[in-house]
Amino acid sequence: MNRTKYTQWFFIGPHMLLFLVFILVPSIYGVYASFTRWNLVSSPQWVGLDNYKTILFNQDSSFYHEFFNGLKNTLIFVGISVPLMVIIPLLIAVAIEHKDVKFKNFFQSIVYIPGLISISAAALIWSLIFNTQLGIVSNLFGSEFAWSATQPYAWIIIFVITVWGGTGGNMIIYRASISNVSKDLYESAEIDGAGPIQKFFHITLPSIRFPLIYTVVMTTAGAFNVFGQPLMMTDGGPRESTTVLMMYIRNLAFSHGESIAGIASAMAVLLGMIILVISACQYYVMNRNAA
Amino acid sequence: MKTAKVSKYLAYLFLITVSAIWIIPMIFGIATSFRSQAEVVNVGFRLLPVNWIVDNYMAILDNTSTAPILRWIWNSIFIATTHTLLVIVVISITGYGYSRMNFKGRDVLFFTLLGISFFPNVVNIIPSYRIIDILGWVNTPWAMIVPGLAGMGNIFLVRQFMKGIPIELDESARVDGASNFRIYFSVILPLIKPVLIVAGLFSFIGSWNDFLWPVIVYTDVQKMPVTAGLLLLQDIYGNYRLIGQLMGSAILAIIPTMLLFLFAQKYFVSAINLNSGIKG
Repeated sequence: MNRTKYTQWFFIGPHMLLFLVFILVPSIYGVYASFTRWNLVSSPQWVGLDNYKTILFNQDSSFYHEFFNGLKNTLIFVGISVPLMVIIPLLIAVAIEHKDVKFKNFFQSIVYIPGLISISAAALIWSLIFNTQLGIVSNLFGSEFAWSATQPYAWIIIFVITVWGGTGGNMIIYRASISNVSKDLYESAEIDGAGPIQKFFHITLPSIRFPLIYTVVMTTAGAFNVFGQPLMMTDGGPRESTTVLMMYIRNLAFSHGESIAGIASAMAVLLGMIILVISACQYYVMNRNAA
Repeated sequence: MKTAKVSKYLAYLFLITVSAIWIIPMIFGIATSFRSQAEVVNVGFRLLPVNWIVDNYMAILDNTSTAPILRWIWNSIFIATTHTLLVIVVISITGYGYSRMNFKGRDVLFFTLLGISFFPNVVNIIPSYRIIDILGWVNTPWAMIVPGLAGMGNIFLVRQFMKGIPIELDESARVDGASNFRIYFSVILPLIKPVLIVAGLFSFIGSWNDFLWPVIVYTDVQKMPVTAGLLLLQDIYGNYRLIGQLMGSAILAIIPTMLLFLFAQKYFVSAINLNSGIKG
């Protein structure tokens, strides 16, 4: 029965090939390339730890400044956007799931729809909102400067568009898990005289700890890869104060001049390691505290 | 109870405020796409146009050289549709292999691949570009259609879903002499339709909205998808402050995914219930 012995390859073989070519090989090659001098075209030359030494320790090198500036800006983005993208969706989900609130699906759709819009289309629309002469914001608050070219406003518009687009997905996850919490728990808490806030902290939050862990880890990992919002809204400015690591990596590897793919790969590996370590820590800490 | 009443009104107040903040940019964007350039410049801030005109859309559609928006949208439709169809084929046959076929090391292999796939994507972007280049796929739709098929997330979902289908169904078909191909096609495929629809929808939206990768692999204006095209618009229309045309282009670019949401809304929400791993 040789035929049946190999039938599994018909089922898993095609994907296995895709996996090798588009995930396994590029991942390994990405790590390898970080130890080389490479211009994306000719074959890479092994340079050992040189790229890492340059990026991490050579203060005369522009790569050193790009890496640490990019890392700082990426961390600012992660540190502020992740709490916003957990707390705001959670509040909206709690409000929608309030037992006396009607039009639940209507509110849900409104908040969810921006998540279906690409960052480039969303950014064009929001650039109008923040436009100095025509925008709602300037006319409402009477500000007469370009938001995208002035700090801290450049960061604020990046966070606004991020929250606008990113709230819906997490909100639906929270809403689904809140609606699964047993109503008896809330009723018995009410009999014991618990108010809405106590109910939220003592029943709702503990009951949805797995979706919370999941969304915190996924949102954080996603936030480290931030690229579109600063590119579209501020182009990294003013004075590279919103240029994130992903933008430097792309510029080094793919901009018009000579590609510096080795350095870019080393930055990518460093960013990847930070993502891995932080995801693992978050999972460990939250899982242990929740248990 | 009095607190219940107060909390109800607070909930409404909060939700209505949020909804207003969420929806006004869209309305303002749509409205501005129907305002004349003169009105945009001279009248200043106004939520709705004084005169509704379609000149912006005519101008956008006329520009087929530097900003061929219809071409971009067509490219996106072709890419996202082909990608989605292939995703459905790949995840269903692969999911069958990892949940219904019995071979040595099956689960070890599956979880090894799943584990590798958690490796941060940022590391493989640069080599992926090189691979696409070697395949001759730079500036072709395949650069966006194929690499995403290698992902493990949807296969994991399909595999989980298939585990809920009683194995007796396969066995009785096997007794009747059905081969694996036949069982896959006639027994399993009809039963996993819900999970395939959801995976397909999210693949379509994901492919349509992908931004970083198309910005890297497309340099030819005629070949790029609309997300990458819109990045160029800031230079083309933005420099001349043609705000109406900028808005019109953005609106055109989001219409297809909005229509999809309108017609398939229930599947978007049902996705959560399929994802048993994150249910509380």
